[in-house]
This record gives sequence, C-alpha cells and structure tokens, in this order.
Amino acid sequence: MRKLDKEKLEKEKLEKEKPNGQKQNDRVGLGWRPELTAGILSHLDAIDVVEVIAEDYFDSPARARSLKTLAAHAPIVLHGISLGMASTSPVDRKRLDKMARLVDLVQPESWSEHLAFVRAGDIEIGHLSAPPRTASTVDATAANLDQARRIVGSSPAVENIATLIDPPASDRDEPTWLRQTLAASNSALLLDLHNLYANSINFGIDPHHFLRQLPLDRVHTVHISGGKWIQNQSKDHRRILDDHLHDPPDPVYDLLSALAARCPNALTVILERDGAYPPIQHLLAQLARARRAIELGRIEQAA
Amino acid sequence: MNTPDLEKFLARLYIDPETRRRFLDSPYEEAARFGLTDAQCRALEQVDRVGLEMAAHSLSIKRSRKR
Repeated sequence: MRKLDKEKLEKEKLEKEKPNGQKQNDRVGLGWRPELTAGILSHLDAIDVVEVIAEDYFDSPARARSLKTLAAHAPIVLHGISLGMASTSPVDRKRLDKMARLVDLVQPESWSEHLAFVRAGDIEIGHLSAPPRTASTVDATAANLDQARRIVGSSPAVENIATLIDPPASDRDEPTWLRQTLAASNSALLLDLHNLYANSINFGIDPHHFLRQLPLDRVHTVHISGGKWIQNQSKDHRRILDDHLHDPPDPVYDLLSALAARCPNALTVILERDGAYPPIQHLLAQLARARRAIELGRIEQAA
Repeated sequence: MNTPDLEKFLARLYIDPETRRRFLDSPYEEAARFGLTDAQCRALEQVDRVGLEMAAHSLSIKRSRKR
C-alpha cells in the first residue's frame, strides 16, 4: 500500500473514532485584531485558526512579514474587504496585485472576499453594498472572480453579505442569486451565518429555509458574529444591523448546528469581533459554544 | 438590466443626502436625470425606502468614523 493511501486510511479511522461526533478537522478561530493580539497569542491552545484582514497589510511590507511570524504559530486565512467582486465593473487590478503579493508572501491556507460592490466609478461607498441581484451581476461577478483566480493564483471563498436595504432593481431573491453566482464562478461559499440571519429577519424569510436553499457542499468556512436592532427615523420599522460589536445571538448557533448536520465538509468557523472587545475568556467561551454547536450538528448527521 | 451606471447611481444614492432627497421626492425623474434606462428607472421606483434610509444612515456613521 502506498504511503499516502495508508495515511488517508489512518485519517479516516481517526475521524470515525472521534467520540463526540465532531469531524476531526472541524475548527474554530478568531479574527485577528490588534486589540486581541495578546489574548490570542496566549490562548492558541483553544484557537485553531486565525483570520487576518488582508488590507491591513497591503501597504506595509514590514507588517506583512510579521504575518509570517504569526503563521509559524497558528494557521492563517486571509480575508479581503475592498476588492468589490460583485460588480459589473472590473475588479481593481492594483488591489488584486496587492492581494497576490500578500498571498505569495504569507502562504495562507486560503483567502476570501465578499460578494459586494464597494465603489462605482470614482465613488467610494465606504462599506460593503449588495449589488442588484440580476443575471448581469451573476455573470460579472463570475468574471471578476475568474480574474482574481488568475492573478492571485488561487480562488477566493466568497462571503454572503448583510444588507439593510433590499438591493434595488433586483429580479431574484438572495438564495437564488447566491446559488447562481457560486455555480457560475465555481466558488466556495464563506457562509456568514449572522449575515444570513440578519437578512432573513430583515426581509421576512425563515433563516433555516434560507440555509437549506444554499449549496452546502460548497461551504468550508463560516463566520459568526453579532449585531443589534436599529430603527428608522420615524421609529415604525426596525432591522438588525450586523455590527460585529455583540455576541452571536442564539439563532446563529442554532444555524451552525443545522449547517453542521447537513454540510459534508470539515468546517472552519471564525468568530468576528470588530470593537467593544470583551475579555478574551469571553470570546473563548463563544468559541467553545461554537464547537458544541458543530458537535450537535455532526451527531445529528451521523444518526 | 444592471449596468455600471446603475451601480454608480446607487453609490451616489447611498452616500449623497441631496441625491437621496431628490430621489425620494421623484424616484423615476431623478434616476432618468442620471441617464438610467426606462426599465432601471421603473425598477428604482419600487425601492425599499425604509432600507434606504437605514442603510444611508449606517453608512454615514461608518464614513464619518473613517475620516
């Protein structure tokens, strides 16, 4: 028997023997933020992977090289926020080149970007915006992702985004647009469960029905985070804002279990926190809760 | 129906209060003034007004923090 075959069998045996139902390679991790540096580095035994915002390192070779040091201690994935893949305008070549250089330097496990447009012409929106959900944006996004793949040398996983506004001039719903875009670009889905949850609540969809409509065989990575209710000026409507300043709400953990029950792939779950930082033990407790949520789903899958 | 022009119009709608005010007063006319097609203008008449207000407000907070 070849060595590789033997190793594969050993790995499968280990996975079958895992007592708690969790697949051997399911992992949980944290988004790397300067405020969390000390906490993350002193608890790498409880953090399987670290997700780094790529743009923070685009224009500083010294900082980028520091990521190599981090990568020696923990698996790293890179996350882009500025490329604007979901647009009928071509993705910005200079930014893609920067991403390519960073990926080449750091050699992350994977990289990802959002299914959003962030600029149009000379207008910088300043945040992720949902494009009109049409055939045009499906095709243009696939073309942009193909361009990214050729320049960076690997395909990004693409993330569903949260939106407070039902994207104007759309002619299909979000699950349909996501399915079509993923198929047209042959991309993996970085499934943000709080974005899915917030959009579902804001636009009157059952979040579990939304989840079941997605191609879960394309999911390997997951984001969880939290948000808050906001109201309009006349205070007669409220919606969930995905602000990454709060703990993931209970329904997000329920969705994680439901995902783990249906997804055939090992999952890497990243907890995102962008401010109002609690003590690191609080975040570690959320990672532990995510592990339990995955375990529950895996047990259901195995039953 | 989506074109780069439509995305440009949406970007302006999200970040420019004056464009937004004119649009909410007369959606079709403001979109047409920007050069969008009849189909795009008609689609924009159905805009999610509550979402537009909330998204624009949230965006203005984020943009002011970045400055």
